[in-house]
Amino acid sequence: MNVFFRELNAYRKSTIIWCASLAAILVVFMALYPAFTTDVAATRQVLAQFPAAMRNALNISLANFFTIYGFYGYLLGFAALAGAIQAMNVGNGIISKEVSGKTADFLLSKPMTRVRVMSAKLAAALAIIIITNVVFSGVSYLAALMVAPEKFAAGTLLLLASTMFLVQLVFLALGALFAVLIPKVKSVVSVSLPTVFTLYIIGTLGDVLGNDNVRYLSPFKFFDTNYIIRNVSLEGKFLVIEAAIIVVAIAASYVIYVKKDVRASA
Amino acid sequence: MNAIQTTKLTKYYGKSKGIVDVDMTVTEGEIYGFIGPNGAGKSTTIRTLLGLIHATSGSATIFGKDITTSGPEIREEVGYLPSEVFYYDDMRVIDLLKYSASFYKKDHKAIEQRIKRLAEMFDLDLKKKIDDLSYGNKKKVGIIQGLAHEPRLIILDEPTGGLDPLIQQQFFNLLKEENAKGATILFSSHILSEVQRLCDRVAIIKDGSIIKVEQIKTLLENSTKRFKLQLVNTPDPSAFAVDGVSDLAILDHSVSFLYRGRVNDITKMLVTQDLTDLLVEEPDLEEIFMHYYQKEDEQ
Amino acid sequence: MNIYLRELKAHRTGLIWWCVGMVVLVASGMAKFAGFQSAGASVQDMMAGLPKAMLTVFGMTGFDLTKASGFYGVLFLYIGLMAAVHAALLGAHLISKEERDRTSEFLYAKPVSRSSALTSKLLAGLTMVLILNVVTLLSSFYFVNLVGKGESVGADIRVLMEGLFFLQLIFFAIGAMIAGVVKKPKAAPSIATSIMFVAFLVSYLVNLSENLDALKYLSPFKYFDAATLMAAGRLDTMYVVLSVVIVVLAVAGTYRFYSARDLVV
Repeated sequence: MNVFFRELNAYRKSTIIWCASLAAILVVFMALYPAFTTDVAATRQVLAQFPAAMRNALNISLANFFTIYGFYGYLLGFAALAGAIQAMNVGNGIISKEVSGKTADFLLSKPMTRVRVMSAKLAAALAIIIITNVVFSGVSYLAALMVAPEKFAAGTLLLLASTMFLVQLVFLALGALFAVLIPKVKSVVSVSLPTVFTLYIIGTLGDVLGNDNVRYLSPFKFFDTNYIIRNVSLEGKFLVIEAAIIVVAIAASYVIYVKKDVRASA
Repeated sequence: MNAIQTTKLTKYYGKSKGIVDVDMTVTEGEIYGFIGPNGAGKSTTIRTLLGLIHATSGSATIFGKDITTSGPEIREEVGYLPSEVFYYDDMRVIDLLKYSASFYKKDHKAIEQRIKRLAEMFDLDLKKKIDDLSYGNKKKVGIIQGLAHEPRLIILDEPTGGLDPLIQQQFFNLLKEENAKGATILFSSHILSEVQRLCDRVAIIKDGSIIKVEQIKTLLENSTKRFKLQLVNTPDPSAFAVDGVSDLAILDHSVSFLYRGRVNDITKMLVTQDLTDLLVEEPDLEEIFMHYYQKEDEQ
Repeated sequence: MNIYLRELKAHRTGLIWWCVGMVVLVASGMAKFAGFQSAGASVQDMMAGLPKAMLTVFGMTGFDLTKASGFYGVLFLYIGLMAAVHAALLGAHLISKEERDRTSEFLYAKPVSRSSALTSKLLAGLTMVLILNVVTLLSSFYFVNLVGKGESVGADIRVLMEGLFFLQLIFFAIGAMIAGVVKKPKAAPSIATSIMFVAFLVSYLVNLSENLDALKYLSPFKYFDAATLMAAGRLDTMYVVLSVVIVVLAVAGTYRFYSARDLVV
């Protein structure tokens, strides 16, 4: 429990900065919503002329795109990028800091099993992500209330917001896995950024350029905005895939963490 | 000429005192010890001399050159062994030492030969990766990179931490060899026995200021002696209120004190006591310095 | 010279990975184009009817997507993003690593001034940034030609790569300056990439809304906007000057702050 609270405290400042940044991204984008929806009717007409295949490739749903949901779904793409960086930083850093900070000998010689240490740290990381998402969802809802002229269902909006949480979970798990795999992580950011950006670019490119398989490769594309809006639920298939990835990554992290030699320092 | 000359050298870290008005003179060719408790300012002084940190006020010269303007020039002639050694993990020992040598204008071939000789002396495998070295072995790398280019001034900050006694001995022999060839040595430590062994003069630093500079010889000569007595009867403290007596401790029938002064005067007093046992010892530098620390506190 | 060579060696594997990644990015992007072509139709006409905001949302403003070069223009945004991340991280790491790894007591006790060490490090970084640029150039040329069915793309790619180089320089210099100023070596890369990320977001916002046009000066990604560059065929002088000013100021700042401050131990 002590490890849990210590980690929460250690990440306090960073979490506040991330929450503020994500909120800022939200607010700035949402403020543009009114301008975005000018002349909706005309645009809809033009879009209707696109071949359906093309529209699908571009992920445009005529019904949804010009609603607050569609817009929010779009901005989620960016926010999720930022959130993924935060999540991977935390997942990686919380484990690898003991080696890079030379406190591995200290912590791991205490009367606490490595499993418990890992659990406490992962729990703290999870708590950080949950806190971030509570803030994010809250600000999302408030911002939407303020800018959307139309009525919208809070449930759908929050379901969309939940994709942020789901994306972050995956990257948290990936971060932890990388932390136990890479012997010395001197710079967490050097690992997180390339990974996150690569997966993001794979996802976005694939999306725009009409490749459905990409959805399996990039966590950013596991949950499709249009599907959520239409069905007010998440695609079960991808929930399973996500869960599988997380379980495998975390399990592997535990196993490796317990078995490996402890490096005294980076 | 003076190897090191500082004039009112001062360094504040924000509001907290690092060193204040440090006036230090190290003559060329001497071995100068720098002693003080943790946080006294030894490392601060050294880092300032080397240009790793900048003085808040005051000045210093090394071999007559100003440290703020002639840094790199000065450091051609300086070898530094820091208290904590960190090197580039991806390099092998020999690569690091060659990289170190590449900074000096001196003949690189000569330096490399010295590297090989020193590595043999200290039993250090040149092919190993820095990453795989134990702390003590990293220290050896530190010694070699500090000495291989035969510097005129050798600065050592707590150098023997992590070295086993055998290597320590070799290290000191090496230092003495260098000194015999004319090198000046600034040796900072809190291990007094080492300072005692090696240094000509020693400066005591505490709370950022130099309290005293003294020749080791003088310190040891004028030293106090420790007297330990066993008396028949319960000792009377007033009998021991003699000039030159300090650190008086009385427990049951035992008396212990430090005495500095004429031996005859104290023996005249002792003769008046009924003694069952008497022990006279040379205190080591430790006890002397403890008193310096305490004296300053009391003042 | 020794520091320069050492930095190149130390970053060698990293650079190779980034180059490989860049080649893969270009290759897979253009491979998509080859597939996309079969969808055919007068995409161009349809695009013309859409509001700016929409096209921006997909990063497709101003491109003729039927042509390989137009497609590449869309891809360029992501190329720029990757290159910017690389440059910012590189600049920050080169300067902050000595303090982060605590090797500063070794290096700076040597007869080398902070300025000359900085110069060596910056030159090494410049070399690596240039290498990434050339690799991107060559692979872009190769793959775009491969799927381009004979259209002449040399000029377009060339001007984009020039813009890319300035983009890289800007973020490299900013990364270096942050590391030179900041006293927490571990924070430097994060701060540098945050700045880059904000610049990226701003570029998107500017695209999205006409009102925010003034903000374009805040984002180097807008200085070298692919669509604009390909249409004009050359770099905008004003932006080049602005870039040079930024780089010079950042580099000068790096020297000044890094030499004047205490080294973190």
